Amino acid sequence: MNKTWNNRAWFMVLPVLLLVAFSAVIPLMTVVNYSVQDTFGNNEFFWAGTEWFQEMLHSDRFWEAMGRNLIFSFIILAIEIPLGIFIALNMPKSGWGVPVCLVLMALPLLIPWNVVGTIWQVFGRVDIGLLGYTLSAVGIDYNYVNDPFDAWVTVIVMDVWHWTSLVVLLCYAGLVSIPDAYYQAAKIDGASRWSIFRYIQLPKMNRVLLIAVLLRFMDSFMIYTEPFVVTGGGPGNSTTFLSIDLVKMAVGQFDLGPAAAMSIIYFLIILLLSWVFYTVMTNYDAER
Amino acid sequence: MTASRRWVLPLGAVLAAYLAAIALLVAMLPRKDGAVDWFAPLVRGGWMAWSFPSAMFFLTILLLLCLMAVWEYASPGGNPRVGILRFETTRGDRLFISLLGSAFIHLAWLGLIGPNLWWALALSVVYAVGVFRTV
Repeated sequence: MNKTWNNRAWFMVLPVLLLVAFSAVIPLMTVVNYSVQDTFGNNEFFWAGTEWFQEMLHSDRFWEAMGRNLIFSFIILAIEIPLGIFIALNMPKSGWGVPVCLVLMALPLLIPWNVVGTIWQVFGRVDIGLLGYTLSAVGIDYNYVNDPFDAWVTVIVMDVWHWTSLVVLLCYAGLVSIPDAYYQAAKIDGASRWSIFRYIQLPKMNRVLLIAVLLRFMDSFMIYTEPFVVTGGGPGNSTTFLSIDLVKMAVGQFDLGPAAAMSIIYFLIILLLSWVFYTVMTNYDAER
Repeated sequence: MTASRRWVLPLGAVLAAYLAAIALLVAMLPRKDGAVDWFAPLVRGGWMAWSFPSAMFFLTILLLLCLMAVWEYASPGGNPRVGILRFETTRGDRLFISLLGSAFIHLAWLGLIGPNLWWALALSVVYAVGVFRTV
């Protein structure tokens, strides 16, 4: 097929380019400018060179927050992706159950992040919260305010409650798009439930799973509002993730230079990991 | 794909615009006791706190993007191929891998060796040449 080569079509991209420039590129450029300078307010800046980057790269505080963030992302991906697939596989494919399940699944996604945090903050309280009070009543020593392990469990369960629905809905969309002919062929061949999942459903869900993993990884790696509302980063620094630490540094301490350097390192890591995820999964898909 | 278009003029225009922008930046540099202050804010109290080195950094990235556009104009199609990473990459992918890798080379140099980044820059150039030739 002969394609018509018309470079004027590039002008169609211009509105998006402008939007991205104002929402992402220009703020990012400002952050780069701040990362090599120091300020004491009054919009006056002094050259600092690579000092803030060195400070960040040698900062235990930064690496500890990074470690916590990576562990958190790994745990929630390890829970939400299999759980999302499992729920999607068990959702009805026809009848009145479909809209009911879809609405139920969509509900947590509609709640604003700070409200989710507030719900779980109250829910987990030992004195008035249903979860905290019940656990205490059955003899389990649970207190997310004082115990780092309990704080982590609360934050993880809250994230699973909030975001597994997204994985479910994406997987469900992938599953319902599989033509019946595949299942009929599998039935004729006498394929087991596992074989149908392994060789039909999972490959067909590959694309949506790519989106689910990417979205959940990036969201969890940038998580701020929910843990901030529930634990405020505590007890101690046990749930202080990178974004919470960043806000403390930039807004709390007004250390714009180190915060900007931290933002850039944070951004580069997200960019690298997202690129690796995307490349690995799209090439796996292409090979198939 | 062989080069089929006149690329010398666009290339010249891009390089001339780059040099003109550098000249403009140099002219904007503040002076302190008669000497040029290379690291002072370009516009005192100005928006975004631009300095000469950070402006040069972004200008050079813009130059690279423009050079890629000229390359694409001269030889359309993006030159897709499968290299040592065993998946298909275009010129744009190779530039992205080069820039991202260079950023990490600079960070690693800063974290492990020290603040003199000229060797990190040289290493990044070698890395980028390697990426464009083999990836």
